[in-house]
Amino acid sequence: MESTISFDLVAPEQLIFNDKVGMIIVPGKEGDLGVLPGHSKLLSSLRPGRVLVYGESKNLLKSFFVSGGFVEINPEKCIVLAEEVEEMNSLEKATIEQKMLELENETSDESKQQYLIVKSKIEALNSSHYEKI
Amino acid sequence: MPSLKDLKTQINSVGSTKKITSAMKMVAASKLRRSQEKAEAARPYSSRLEEMLLSLASSSVSGEGVIKLLTGTGKDEKYLVIPVTADRGLCGGFNSSINRATTKFVNSLESKGKNVSLITVGKKSRDFFNRIMKDKIIESYVDVTESGYDGAFQISNKIQSLYFDDKFDKCILIYNKFVSAITQEVTRQQLIPLDIKENNEKEKKDTDDKNSAAIYTYEPDESSILKDLLPKNISIQIFKMLLESSAGEQGARMAAMDNATRNAGEMIDTLTLKYNRTRQAFITKELIEIISGAEAI
Repeated sequence: MESTISFDLVAPEQLIFNDKVGMIIVPGKEGDLGVLPGHSKLLSSLRPGRVLVYGESKNLLKSFFVSGGFVEINPEKCIVLAEEVEEMNSLEKATIEQKMLELENETSDESKQQYLIVKSKIEALNSSHYEKI
Repeated sequence: MPSLKDLKTQINSVGSTKKITSAMKMVAASKLRRSQEKAEAARPYSSRLEEMLLSLASSSVSGEGVIKLLTGTGKDEKYLVIPVTADRGLCGGFNSSINRATTKFVNSLESKGKNVSLITVGKKSRDFFNRIMKDKIIESYVDVTESGYDGAFQISNKIQSLYFDDKFDKCILIYNKFVSAITQEVTRQQLIPLDIKENNEKEKKDTDDKNSAAIYTYEPDESSILKDLLPKNISIQIFKMLLESSAGEQGARMAAMDNATRNAGEMIDTLTLKYNRTRQAFITKELIEIISGAEAI
């Protein structure tokens, strides 16, 4: 069996990542999904969280934050469609916390949703699961 | 007969117009390239989303709520028409062809007794429809192409909230489809309910060939994915169409300015000819005066 799976990370404005990788972890709606080459066909929506990309020897290549979206998986390919994508390295905790405070007291539906996304951004920054496998 | 000075000023002013139009042509050409790149970059997302939607939509989920975006309200009474134009003029027939097509379409709907409302995108359609059918306009958006995906997202949210308030049954977009740098095609696209059949037949073949045994596992389940997917699809459709329209605008402007530059060049040529003739006529006249004056002595 192939030892790599092709992975696309797509945002509305551009294709962000496109390469062959060893493994991907995506934040599925009902829990994190680890995707290895030869994964069965699956379609899932995503919750806000981290998308982690690993090389062939399971070394962490890149990590992104996505604010939700979809993943389509078949044995040769994994495609993540995300609305907002940011590289984890480019996130700054202080500014996000500031934003979180701003949004905390808002009551409209939209800002509540924003709040949830920002909150999970913080969580994503704090968590270090899966960093070494 | 115009004096030499008049001709000179005229030549100069046409010359400076020519400079401006040729500069605008260059600007449009470079902007065209950029918008084309943007449209190119957005393609993977929209085509993937469409594929996903196709595989789901065929599974005939029925129900209330968001699903109505796919199935429609079952009525055919109220229409929402969205003409998309540019914010700026000087791009040939780009804006006016949209406005004309929209007016025609609205009139034909009304003659069938349908109720029509409008959401305009772009300054040019806003100004135009404010003049002739102000009462139909629900909302106007300007400067959306600059704000990228967020702009499309806003419009899509507005449309959806109107839809669920039962303000319309069908939503139709009228925009300029980018065919090539010099041609745009006025296109009517039905946004709600989703016009899946048309795409389906075209793409069915591909999917049939590729994965006829495509049985996906859905997580959480088909209908909830579909519920997430449908609103997103609307935003992305709008986004795609905005990008196409902005690329088309630059293309149209480039062509219009190219024409204007050429016309100005021709005008300068004829004016210069006229100038030279007039000058020569003056000289001849003066010479005759001098000669006849000398002869008289």
